[in-house]
Amino acid sequence: MRIVVVGNGVAGMEAALAVRRRDADATITVVSEESDHFFSRTALMYVLCGQLSHRCIEPLERGVYERLRLTRVRARATGLDPEARLLTLADGRTLAYDRLLIACGSRPRPAPWPGSGLRGVGHFVTLQDLAWLEAELHGQQSEPRPPNEWAHLSVSAADSPYGRREVAAETRGRTCGSPLVIGGGLIGIEAVETFLAAGRSPHFVIREDRFWPNPISAAESAWVAEALRGHGALVHLDTHVESMVGDGRGNVDRVVTDKGPLDVDCVVVAIGVVPNTEWLGEAVERDQSGGIVVGDDLQTSAPGVYAAGDCASVRWFDGQRRPEQLWYTGRDQGRVAAQALLGDDVRYRRSTWYNSAKLMDIEYTTAGLVGLDLPGESEWFYEETGAVKSTTRIVSRDGAVIGFNFLGRRWDHEVLIRWINERRSLAWVLDHLGAARFDTELVPPLVIPAAAR
Amino acid sequence: MHLQAQEGLMSTFRTGWRSRSAVAYGLSLLLFAFYISMYFGGQYGLPDLWQPLAEAVGLRSKWFVYGLVYTVWMLIGAAWYLRQHGNSRYNQARIGVNVAVQVVLGFTLPFVMPLFGGTEYYFSYFWPLKYDYLYPHTMWSLPWYLALYGVVMAVFTAPLAAVFFGKRWYCSWVCGCGGLANTFGDPWRHLTSSSTASWRFEKYAIHAVLGLAVVSTGVIAMHQMGMGEGTLLVPIAQQTKIWYGFVVGSILSGVIGTAVYPVLGPRIWCRNFCPMAALLGMSQKLGRFRIRVKKDMCISCGNCTTYCEMGIDVRAYAQRNQSFTRSSCVGCGMCAHVCPRGVLRLENGAWEQAEDKQLQGLSIIDY
Repeated sequence: MRIVVVGNGVAGMEAALAVRRRDADATITVVSEESDHFFSRTALMYVLCGQLSHRCIEPLERGVYERLRLTRVRARATGLDPEARLLTLADGRTLAYDRLLIACGSRPRPAPWPGSGLRGVGHFVTLQDLAWLEAELHGQQSEPRPPNEWAHLSVSAADSPYGRREVAAETRGRTCGSPLVIGGGLIGIEAVETFLAAGRSPHFVIREDRFWPNPISAAESAWVAEALRGHGALVHLDTHVESMVGDGRGNVDRVVTDKGPLDVDCVVVAIGVVPNTEWLGEAVERDQSGGIVVGDDLQTSAPGVYAAGDCASVRWFDGQRRPEQLWYTGRDQGRVAAQALLGDDVRYRRSTWYNSAKLMDIEYTTAGLVGLDLPGESEWFYEETGAVKSTTRIVSRDGAVIGFNFLGRRWDHEVLIRWINERRSLAWVLDHLGAARFDTELVPPLVIPAAAR
Repeated sequence: MHLQAQEGLMSTFRTGWRSRSAVAYGLSLLLFAFYISMYFGGQYGLPDLWQPLAEAVGLRSKWFVYGLVYTVWMLIGAAWYLRQHGNSRYNQARIGVNVAVQVVLGFTLPFVMPLFGGTEYYFSYFWPLKYDYLYPHTMWSLPWYLALYGVVMAVFTAPLAAVFFGKRWYCSWVCGCGGLANTFGDPWRHLTSSSTASWRFEKYAIHAVLGLAVVSTGVIAMHQMGMGEGTLLVPIAQQTKIWYGFVVGSILSGVIGTAVYPVLGPRIWCRNFCPMAALLGMSQKLGRFRIRVKKDMCISCGNCTTYCEMGIDVRAYAQRNQSFTRSSCVGCGMCAHVCPRGVLRLENGAWEQAEDKQLQGLSIIDY
């Protein structure tokens, strides 16, 4: 059987490995425009700040493709003919398949403002973005690129997120001194953090009146903003970008907002990502967000064609379909897709929502339904001060706990989800909270005084 | 401030002396020169720099000069370590105890005890690391209670403690070699190779040295107890004593083990050659210590694998949701400390599920 996987990211690679685990004979081809080696996109920030090297963020040894006979094609996929079962590549080649998995991920949401095309304006999503920011911040790339890093350039379309970007630092003759980040989400705060690690004091322009308004509450958000400011970030809340202005030589020089202009020399636009699916045209059905519509078995509207990861609109716990842009759901979908590719009758099911993040040096864990303002819900909140600073927010409804939000401590979401499914009461959960603790050794336990309960 | 977070991101790979630059190689060469002059000065036509210095400053032997330098390096390294990772309570406690053991048991007591008519004895080193503590000649020369202490610690207490707490009780809290690696050597911990090839080498090398330690101790003990007079045993035992001391005691643990810190990472000796680590690793594998993995939360960033000084590919286990025990793990706690998603935790305790412990190797197909 000929299996072609578009995308060398976590969903595509997980699927390719899982197929090979089951089927020693299948021909497996992995197509990628971005990179020769599977890498962890979530770790780009650590490479930019120098905490990890490029090689460190590759989870598999490089020999894995040869050892498991995964053929790599380094090219941009530009079209799909589901009738003829042919995938077209930008260099004119075609790949025939029996089963196709589309796992081509997301691309950054483009900046909508005038002047966004100036040199020094970009995103922080791809390996090429990383190379660009390394050059803006450090003047040179920190280590040799993987082989054939730019081999695809000749085939890359003008609007590809994987193209090499011009570096303002080169035309200016000095590295960036005053960066600006737009977008109060996770990529935004990561970009800010790396600028801080590089000794810069970035502007952080956030449209909303607080950082990350949906997942975390006003009190929680205020703590993160305090951490950001404490480390030297210039946080601008409730601020809308209007345009970007150049220096006359094509480099970005100023960002104009509704609160006034800011002098900058590098701008990271982090206002979300969208499914990277324009190339598919009408070949498979896509929804308004651009996500590929899939059934619970991850099959698209075209027979033999499946989709997984950021580019697929899957069914969420609330029954609606939309892309699920998380690392571990991409991995799970890749595994399910592998079974589907091999003909199993499988269903992708996402149970209770959970997630974690690290906001500056504050750890964040969430599970269940939080921040949705459901009718009849009530919230219990406790702020711990002392040796450990932490916040605990527990949402209940109809006498049962339905969601948790934690900052500053580590928690085992598996236990939290079990409690939600068991419909435990708030009092019961508070009595047993220690059982969900995942703090490192010798961290003092969370003690909730009786008065706070 | 926050007990479980890195205080800001580290710029490890942007620092030349930590990234195998010419400066790093130069440092390594300096360390080689220091160790060769220390171990082999006065022999092979090399000048003896340290013994005259020791006598001039009243330190009795060059080994106390070495001990003093070693302790000072450890103290400086501890200051560095606590500045980098000191917000973790586990790190504070571990490094505090380790440095205290070195200062008191590793240097002060052995130096001071003979001044009061006592024996020069190192309470924090046991067979097979301190291989001569089970030689009959050594045991006869010691007061009976010290000889007994050495035997009980080596064959009973140390392995048993590793069953209950993991080998970390020794390798990361007590041992001077581990202590130097975790303090003076900490700036280079990310240089340890985590390749499959390095793992394979480690497994052969460390068990070979343990085998050598057992066999050589047996042969030497038989000889020293007067067995096999007039047979080949005598020359074999004599040569074994010389060569084991030279290759393992001097070259591997001293010269190579420490001098390659700036280039290959700080745990080369502990990971590949230390017979004590091999013995405790086997005990650990049978026991209750493990690294627990939180299910489906790993983002495969690689901080754990990169900052593991023993070259364990922690990420490979984390992305498979697999709690695990590796015999080489010294329980320094760094993987859990640097994990940006709080996925990892060091634990001592009964395994919850039988299957947890089954799959602890990584098969080829699964990474």
